[in-house]
Amino acid sequence: MAAPIGRRNLFAERRRALLGIAGVATALLLVLALNGIFAGVMRQVTKVIDESPADVLVAQAGVRNMHMVYSVIPAESVERVRAMPDVAWAEPLLYDLDAVVGHNGERQNSYVFGYVPGRRGGPSRLIAGAAPGPEEIVLDRLGAQRIGARVGSSIEVFGARWRVSGLTDGLTNITNTVSYVRLEDFARVRQTAGVVSYVLVGARAAPGALARRISTATGLSALTRAEFSAQERRAVQDMSTDLMRIMTVAAFAIGLAVVALTLYASTLSRLREVGVMKAIGARSGLLGRVVISQAVWTVGAALSLAVPLTFGLGWVVERASGSISLAVEPGSVVTAAVAAAALGALGALVPLIKVSRVDPATVFRRAS
Amino acid sequence: MNLVLGARVPVARRNILADRRRLVTGVFGVGAAIALIFLLQSLWGGFQVQLGSYAKNVGAQVFVGDLGTRTSWESSVVPLAAIDQIRAIPGVERADPIFLRSTILTLHARKVFAALVGYEPGALGGPWRISAGHGVQTAGEVVIDRTLARQHDIGLGDALEVQGARFRVVGLSDGTRTWMSAYVFVSREAAAGLYKTSGTASFILVETTQPAAVSARIAREVALTPLEVRELVRNDRKLIAAIMQGPIELMVLIAFAAGTLIVALTVYSQVVERVREYGIVKALGAGWKRLFAIVLGQTLVLAALGLIAGFGLSKAGGWLVIWLRPQFWLSLSGTQALQVVGAAAAMALLAAVVPTRRIARLDPASVYRG
Repeated sequence: MAAPIGRRNLFAERRRALLGIAGVATALLLVLALNGIFAGVMRQVTKVIDESPADVLVAQAGVRNMHMVYSVIPAESVERVRAMPDVAWAEPLLYDLDAVVGHNGERQNSYVFGYVPGRRGGPSRLIAGAAPGPEEIVLDRLGAQRIGARVGSSIEVFGARWRVSGLTDGLTNITNTVSYVRLEDFARVRQTAGVVSYVLVGARAAPGALARRISTATGLSALTRAEFSAQERRAVQDMSTDLMRIMTVAAFAIGLAVVALTLYASTLSRLREVGVMKAIGARSGLLGRVVISQAVWTVGAALSLAVPLTFGLGWVVERASGSISLAVEPGSVVTAAVAAAALGALGALVPLIKVSRVDPATVFRRAS
Repeated sequence: MNLVLGARVPVARRNILADRRRLVTGVFGVGAAIALIFLLQSLWGGFQVQLGSYAKNVGAQVFVGDLGTRTSWESSVVPLAAIDQIRAIPGVERADPIFLRSTILTLHARKVFAALVGYEPGALGGPWRISAGHGVQTAGEVVIDRTLARQHDIGLGDALEVQGARFRVVGLSDGTRTWMSAYVFVSREAAAGLYKTSGTASFILVETTQPAAVSARIAREVALTPLEVRELVRNDRKLIAAIMQGPIELMVLIAFAAGTLIVALTVYSQVVERVREYGIVKALGAGWKRLFAIVLGQTLVLAALGLIAGFGLSKAGGWLVIWLRPQFWLSLSGTQALQVVGAAAAMALLAAVVPTRRIARLDPASVYRG
């Protein structure tokens, strides 16, 4: 059986090997954490849509999502859609972005929804209190906590005061929280009589076909919940892609430098042995494999370290911030693994050149 | 008797410069980590500048929103009837309404986040610098940012769909972009039509030479919230910082850890290779302070070179970023630059620990054994 020379060389000086592995792991952690934060945001931003009971969402023509956009459609659209074949139910929803303000002046950005209590479109579950009555509001638990509010507190939104009637959960993310008021209160304080933002639709037939029929009949934008959610993700994704790319390239450069350093240092310290191996007939292919096996060991160990580290970091960040969720998805681990392999291959280049240039005679010269 | 190693022998510098290839790789690695920190700080700084560009350049000194409004990101609804009240206040030179709403444009199958501004042609609120074409004059016209137009091959006279309605591009504005959004200007009449409102606006912009006094009068006499530009910009920045600063700081922290590890790895490798020489130095009587100074000297040299390389790399990277993505602005304040210098020094200090421990455990007698 062949001796694992590469591994032995690498771990001959354990501390150096560990420093190298830790360095590469940190670079991979950078990539994984970046992707994890992004994936976490993605999961959070669509939660309110994914949990919606609607099979189809109808919006203003040209509007295909909710994040950072404002939709206005005539209120009569609700009746029009409701009367269409295969529509099980249709409910209006008013929506706007504002800040909820606690009594101590603490502010939290919030999606504010106006819905008809007792009908669809409100919070999917309440963990405390009740649905909103007149001039009342339901807040998300974390959002309420941030502005120091609880059931019964008085808070401010849309320039008006509201009593907190209940709390929902799991809808506060890095950018905003979610709040619910009665449709008529929303329309009154926002002066939006005669219009709604969205129509939520329950389907008796295939949602895709129904969405197309609604769109054709009304001239409005109608998408299935899955399509709407995908558009929402796309909007957030397209806003952040460039920044993500910049940071990923920088992380890749850091990782490359660490791999190259580790392999170069371990190769350099074993140059005499390489000379001996060459002198007793080892071919370049074997010596190349030794360097490559060191690269594989370095990036493999780094990846095995980086993945649990990312989970650990996610746990810490989530507990520390409450709203930043770090989701490690299989796709991003595969990306990191591919990046690590590329780093290993590139990092091994310089040591490979160095090894190929070693003159076997140097062994005897230095020994004499 | 202990022999004293000549204090003038630049051991640290000689050791770190002994292997040029390793030094270059180490400097490149530390440089990449520091460049990332520089770049993150510059991007964040640039974003802060961009955030205030509309409010600072539009020509108004006070933004009047509905009660409780603190930022330009919140939806504010003010009655147009309030304009006459505001215009009547002494010190108000001009007061004009604007519509301000975020929207998403779909350009080349890509979602582009935009701030839609509806303004009265010729009044406050429109683009302050137009590089081609002219400002909006009628309801069917739109002015978009020059860099956005270039990225998506949009020219004067082309059609642009906004909120399901088609507009004709009549002007290209300058300095109206942030890395995640672009300002899009239409007439207030068009914006009111898009959002089916009448009798309201988002903000009333006030031009005055006495912003503090005018704000106080508006707060007292009109049931709305006046925000001086300085305050509005500060609030906007605070809001965005609450969202983005956490992830950016996390990235900076990881880059800092990576940089520290690279410095430690480079110097440690060098220490391991010259362990016999360190043994001799110890045998000659050098104490731990002298040994730590030698190691720290090396980590400092490496961090300093890494800092220079990082600055250069971040400049080159920044140039590339701006060339490829002109929506990004870079701005690095003196304080931010000093923070990065401090981070590099901290890297050097932390990185010196592991190699020093290695030398500290070294038995001087081992030198003679070998």
